[in-house]
Order: sequence, then structure tokens, then C-alpha cells
Amino acid sequence: MSGRGYLGEFEHIIVLALLRLEDRAYGVTVRQEIELRTKREVSIGAVYATLDRLESKGYVKSHRGDPTPERGGRSKRFFQVTAKGIKAVNRAQRALRNMTAGLDLIGSHS
Amino acid sequence: MKSQPEFAQPPRIATWLVNLFIPAEDGESIPGDLHEEFSHLASKSGIAVARSWYWRQTVKTIAHLAGMGFRVAPWSTTAAVVGGFLLMRFVSGLPDKLLAAATDRYLTYWSTHFKAYMFCATDGMFIAHLVGSVFVGCTVALTAKKREMVATMTLALVLGALGIAASLVWLAKTGDVWMLALQCADSFAILMGGAIVRTRRSAATTLPSNA
Repeated sequence: MSGRGYLGEFEHIIVLALLRLEDRAYGVTVRQEIELRTKREVSIGAVYATLDRLESKGYVKSHRGDPTPERGGRSKRFFQVTAKGIKAVNRAQRALRNMTAGLDLIGSHS
Repeated sequence: MKSQPEFAQPPRIATWLVNLFIPAEDGESIPGDLHEEFSHLASKSGIAVARSWYWRQTVKTIAHLAGMGFRVAPWSTTAAVVGGFLLMRFVSGLPDKLLAAATDRYLTYWSTHFKAYMFCATDGMFIAHLVGSVFVGCTVALTAKKREMVATMTLALVLGALGIAASLVWLAKTGDVWMLALQCADSFAILMGGAIVRTRRSAATTLPSNA
């Protein structure tokens, strides 16, 4: 079976962050949401590199906001998950559930 | 201690560096996001913390964008790098050939201007060599459309690695560090060529919207 259509780990996390943030999803909020929930430092470059890849696959779409003074007069780029993206994240979630079903992961190898 | 965060500006060099690698579609969003978080952090934790965070983000962001740039167009980037490598081989020998030709042609002039000849044969040759490397960097950047810095950085790394390896052998044999310095300067000059082209292209694309 082809790996095409499956989300990578960081892609999966990004799509979930976009779904959580709804219409507030842009670079800063996505980065902060991931840091807050995964407790790992993420660079804005990693976020955009992944978002651009997801957009080229058709899993997310973006639009520009208005420029604001706190951003040095630069505009925001807001992201939104597409229907294809939601299908992909559901597929990834289902695969994870199937793979972890019946496993006692807590303390199994400690 | 928070020192006038309302006037805080991100480090200019870091901003310039990250702008060199940002693709056109993220030309406003990435610097804007970094600026926004920097301002927020400066007012919350102080400028020193914000600057340190900004530099960390800059380095990581450049690494990711450079990797992405190569993955998006591996063949055209590789072609530009190989072309640059071959061009470098041709250009690097030019100053010697030109000086030899000039010496042969104006023998009487050089015999009465020995200091000028010595300058040309030493510092002049070094400067001409670096100008040649900048020219190669510019050419590679011009051919690698939108991925100027990725192509020039790859070429600089390849040439730098090969040159440094050869220079270390030379250093072990002769104890002369000149060759090592020249190889590092070459790579830096190639990167400068890429940065010049990228900066000029960015200025050309942003000027009309500002007018």
C-alpha cells in the first residue's frame, strides 16, 4: 500500500492545531499551540515549511489578513483545513487507533 | 528589567538573514510572525530574552527553509550548483592568466613599477580571485530562480568542504594557513554573491507595492 495520502507526525500535529484554533490559525498561534500542548520548542520555519507542504497537497488553504503595526506593518497568513485535510487526519487517527488497540503502553517498557 | 520594549526592534542582521531564505509567498507572514512574537516577548521578559529567542528562531528557520528549498526543486538546484562548480573551476584560474598576459605585454612598465607589480601579484590576485567568486555566486543565484541562497549555500558548502580538506593536507605538509584562509574566503564570497542577487530581487519586488 502506498504511503501517499498519509500524514507525517509533524503534519498531523499541525493539522490538529489548525482544527483547534479554527479561524485564529496563523503562524504565531499555530507555533504557540504546538509548544503549549507538546512541550517542545518549534521554529516558525518548521511550521511554515510544513504548512506550505500541506497546502501543496491540498490539505490546507490560506488567505491573507490585514497588516498590523505590532507586526511591523506586515500581514498575517491565516490557514484553514480543507475537506481533503480532514479526511487525511481522520485516516491517520484511525490508523493510530488500530495500531495501538489492545496495547498496554503505559509503563510497558519502563 | 525591561528596557523600553515599546521601541524594541528585532536584531537587524537576523532579520536580514532570515529574509534571504524566505520564499516569496511567505515574504510578509514569516517576518511579521517573528516581529509579533519578539515584541510580545520583549514587553513580557525583556529585550535580552527576546533577542536571544529571535536569534534561535532565525537559525532554526533558516535551516528549515533551506532544507525545504532544496526538497521543492532538487534537480534545478543541483544543476545550478554543478554549473557553479564548473564555472568556479574556470574563473579561479583567470586572475593568474590575466596577470601573466599583462606582465608579458607591459614588461617595461612593470620593470619600473615593481611595487605595483608586487601588489598585483599578491593582494591584487587575492582580490581578483574573490571578485571571481562573487561573480560565480551571482551567476548561480541568477540561474536558481527563487532559491538563490539555497543554491549558493550548497555550492559554498561543497567547495568549502573540498577546499578545506585539500588545505588541511597542504597545511600539514607546509604549515601554511594561507590556502585555508583563501578557501574560507571563497565560500564566503560565493554566499555574498547570492545575497546580493537575492537582496536586489527582493527590493525589485517590494518597491512597486510601497510606491
